[in-house]
Amino acid sequence: MDIETVKERAGPREFSPGDDLPEEYRKAATRMIEFHANSEIMGAYLERPFIRQAPSIDRKLAFSAKVQDEIGHGQLLYRAAETLGIKTREEMLDDLAEGRGKFLNCFHYPMDGWVETPMIAFFVDGAAMRRQATLRRTSWEPYAHAMDKVCFEEGFHVKHGEDILRTLMNGSRAEQRRTQEAFEEWWPRIIQFFGPTDDKSTHHDFAADVGLKQMTNDELRQAFLDMYVPKARKYGLEIPEYPRVSQNDEGRWVVEEDDLDWDEFFTVAKNNYEPGLGQINGRARAQEAVEWVRDVIEGDGAPAGGRSPQAAD
Amino acid sequence: MTLDPNDLDEREALAALCKRLGDDEFVLAERYTEWQVRSPSLESDLALSNIAQDELGHARLWYDLLIDLGYEEPEIVYERDADEWHHSTLVEQPFAEGDWTDPIVRSYLYDVAEKLRLATLEESTHPKIADRVGKIQGEENYHLEHAQNWLERLVADDEGKERVQNAVDRLFPYALTLFEPVDPDVEDDIVDLGLRDATLAEMGEEWLSVVIPYLESLDLDVPESGVEGMDGYAVTDEMLPEHVGRDGSHTEAWSDLFEEFTHTYHDLGRDQSTKIMGRPE
Repeated sequence: MDIETVKERAGPREFSPGDDLPEEYRKAATRMIEFHANSEIMGAYLERPFIRQAPSIDRKLAFSAKVQDEIGHGQLLYRAAETLGIKTREEMLDDLAEGRGKFLNCFHYPMDGWVETPMIAFFVDGAAMRRQATLRRTSWEPYAHAMDKVCFEEGFHVKHGEDILRTLMNGSRAEQRRTQEAFEEWWPRIIQFFGPTDDKSTHHDFAADVGLKQMTNDELRQAFLDMYVPKARKYGLEIPEYPRVSQNDEGRWVVEEDDLDWDEFFTVAKNNYEPGLGQINGRARAQEAVEWVRDVIEGDGAPAGGRSPQAAD
Repeated sequence: MTLDPNDLDEREALAALCKRLGDDEFVLAERYTEWQVRSPSLESDLALSNIAQDELGHARLWYDLLIDLGYEEPEIVYERDADEWHHSTLVEQPFAEGDWTDPIVRSYLYDVAEKLRLATLEESTHPKIADRVGKIQGEENYHLEHAQNWLERLVADDEGKERVQNAVDRLFPYALTLFEPVDPDVEDDIVDLGLRDATLAEMGEEWLSVVIPYLESLDLDVPESGVEGMDGYAVTDEMLPEHVGRDGSHTEAWSDLFEEFTHTYHDLGRDQSTKIMGRPE
């Protein structure tokens, strides 16, 4: 199939491993899905310490289950990417460990305390939900299929994050103040989640033309703000002064792009953001430390890890 | 038997039993969750996460029986002093980064004990205990199967076997503390009241009679090989490590772990812990 045919046929779940697709399509799809899978892993890595730090048994269980779900999403997504025949899962995981694999901006920032957990589990996961919902209509069928399960579970994660936020904002004044401070720190990063405005985005046109991407960065950011500015306010959070966010004549929320630090964003995107290297290197060390297990079981025939209900989709 | 709310010995025996059961599961789960996002493969990560959540769920079931006695979660977990925890020192042990033999050997040693322990509770005179045993047993069988599958694969390789041997040497003495009493008098009451139908000594003997031959069948050296001698298997004082946990004495790693999981609760100045699920049936 040539690229013109791909563009003509591009529609929801149009292409599957049986199709003979041009390398350009397969590379673009691999890049997109690999980024998504890496983000699941690095998000899980960031949240993992809060399984232990959760302030109740129920929260602990929910956090452990959430982190597990993210690893399960990573597994599904790497599989969906592998079927494109460009890279194996091992190559993608090695690239991630060696600092070449790219992933979402928000997961580069260290997280120090419990009051920060809803910034990821409510706002970032909420933002991810907006994007993922549209990807159920992506043109690479295995990716769309993975999104069905991911979106289903992600709905629970957002509720879990929202519930933590509600508890904090109904807690002591100190809890409310500290949650507000965390929100102010994370808010610009959360807005940047969707990437730069479409004029500055390099990969969008092709991905949209071949049906991989269903909505533009700007449309997604708009939808997110319309939904989450009111939610933040509902729980008593104040929207920070910068970046300037205001309602236009149609009642939609608009952000002043220039108020955001795009230099930092691109430094983060290239894995060069100094504070975020702790996570990349920490994950690399963890993977290296268990390398011996992979060597030992390599070639012994059985799949690693025994029976795992999560492994089946 | 219906619990007599006025019988203090009975309440004390039931509370001691539920705490030792719940504390073992809770602290074991804490160590297992350290493997999340750090396991050798995505699949083994998912499997160990499942096991960690099972153990946490079991801790919830045992702690819930303390709620019947009037306790609340904060005083069971977040406001209890570190030296009032009664888990075996096996479950609190730290491990070196990447030492995948640790959760596997730990799980094997623990899950054999857990299987025997649950069997002694099947006919408990406290109906809620007997009822919960059934719920837990199905999951525990899978845990044991998971540990044994991994052990057999690891020892098939020279390096793997050496590492498993090191983990056995390190963890085995601590596993023996699973059969130590919280308080000898209270332990007698637990058996006399029929809450559990075997003594700790009997359970320890049985555990040794399962674990030693199994590890030897994998060509591993067991620290207490040969203890069967003339009188059969028995856990003796000489075999035990300095800190046994059951009596509130713990190894150094416990205070760090305890500090970490109670940190948020204290840092936020909480006086209650959020429930998002109802009480178990």
